[in-house]
Amino acid sequence: MVNAIKGLFISCDIPMAQFIVSFNASLPASQKFIVHMLDATHMFVQPHVAEMIRSRIADFRDQNSYEKPA
Amino acid sequence: MPQVRIIAKNFMDMVAALPAMKLDKLYENAFICEAVLRSLPPLAKKYVLQMLYMVVPITGKSMEEWVLSDGFSKHKVAVDRLLQLRIFLEVTDRKKETSYRLNPKFQDNLQKYLVYGGALPREAMPSNITVRLPSLEDLEAYALEQWECFLLQLINSSHVERPTNFSSSVMRVFQRGLLSARENETPKLTENGFQFLLMDTNAQLWYIIREYISSSQDRGVDPTDLISFLLELSFHVLGEAYNLSTLTEVQKNAVRDLADLGLIKLQQGRKEGWFIPTKLATNLSVSLSDTSSRKQIISFLQQNAHPRVAERTPAVPENVTDQIRLWETDRNRVDIIPSHLYEDFPSKEVFEAASDFAREVSGLLWEDTKNMRLIVRGELHQDMRDFLRRQK
Repeated sequence: MVNAIKGLFISCDIPMAQFIVSFNASLPASQKFIVHMLDATHMFVQPHVAEMIRSRIADFRDQNSYEKPA
Repeated sequence: MPQVRIIAKNFMDMVAALPAMKLDKLYENAFICEAVLRSLPPLAKKYVLQMLYMVVPITGKSMEEWVLSDGFSKHKVAVDRLLQLRIFLEVTDRKKETSYRLNPKFQDNLQKYLVYGGALPREAMPSNITVRLPSLEDLEAYALEQWECFLLQLINSSHVERPTNFSSSVMRVFQRGLLSARENETPKLTENGFQFLLMDTNAQLWYIIREYISSSQDRGVDPTDLISFLLELSFHVLGEAYNLSTLTEVQKNAVRDLADLGLIKLQQGRKEGWFIPTKLATNLSVSLSDTSSRKQIISFLQQNAHPRVAERTPAVPENVTDQIRLWETDRNRVDIIPSHLYEDFPSKEVFEAASDFAREVSGLLWEDTKNMRLIVRGELHQDMRDFLRRQK
């Protein structure tokens, strides 16, 4: 009997994929969301984590942006 | 029945969404037939002209032979569009074969238009009556000023020196979706409202006209009459004066509203009054520009550049456009698609069949042959389930 799992298919560049993997690793076991790592640029994750991932990436990007010193 | 469902993104889509009877009535106007013909995708235009003098229906199958195999999808889009606009009418014969013929009213009018040219229901007024006609530059400045005034009132009704003649209920219709109206709070711009302000004038105009037409029924006006008048208006000559007495009551009321939006300038002579179409009116059937936010921002910068800067080529410096492009790609680094993972296939055959099926419906995202796993777009989950159930 074929089994179907609902989730999100993520495709991105290698640095972003690594970022998501390390974010996943930092979470407690009950909150880890990566279901399968498919290859260096693709993964399958649990549904409902899209916003969390995007907001984490946005924070990372803001930290990388130059802010003129006051 | 047309297979493609289109959301009204431009004037012609709105025409296409009219019910059959109204559309047939619109085609009694030769200008509308011409305007609709001009709006068609190139292949559809070709088909109309090919069939213009044919009296017998042509089978769908023989029409398919008019294109090479790699043009087939364009062919389907063209035929669907023609069906949607009721330019093509479907005929099913006893053998259950589908044939198409041109809408007879449309066909008739277009043939006449080809031979006699088109004559507007009104002529421009002679210049000895219409003294003080504005120059084209003045007209353009007027149109822009009216439009900006309207936009100002739209976004912030309290700050307006010279309010338009639109009733507050009509303004509310325009503001719906652009401003958030909470109890006892000043209305604030929504995300859509912000995007609206960045769009170029034609796109903004289309949005307002669309709302104006959609809400006309509530004001007791038949939207078909408005659409018909607006299309007719786009064939008038820019800057020429046309006598107001040639308009119906409905059209006279519409003309007052359109004057507030800058499509028309009204002037009063000693005995007669006339209306002058501006560039906004003659450009009505121009379709929307690309809506990506990067393009909107760059287009906004270009349109609102200081006059001295606007003379440079390009108006917006490359380092600015490059940075905006890089910024946009950086925001889109991760692509997230809702989907389902299918595993535990009973056999390799079922797995391969499912994979082929998913590929056929353009839903296959990932195939792992070693572990017999598939990832398919979420929208196709029901189809996948039905397919797998049929495999038993």
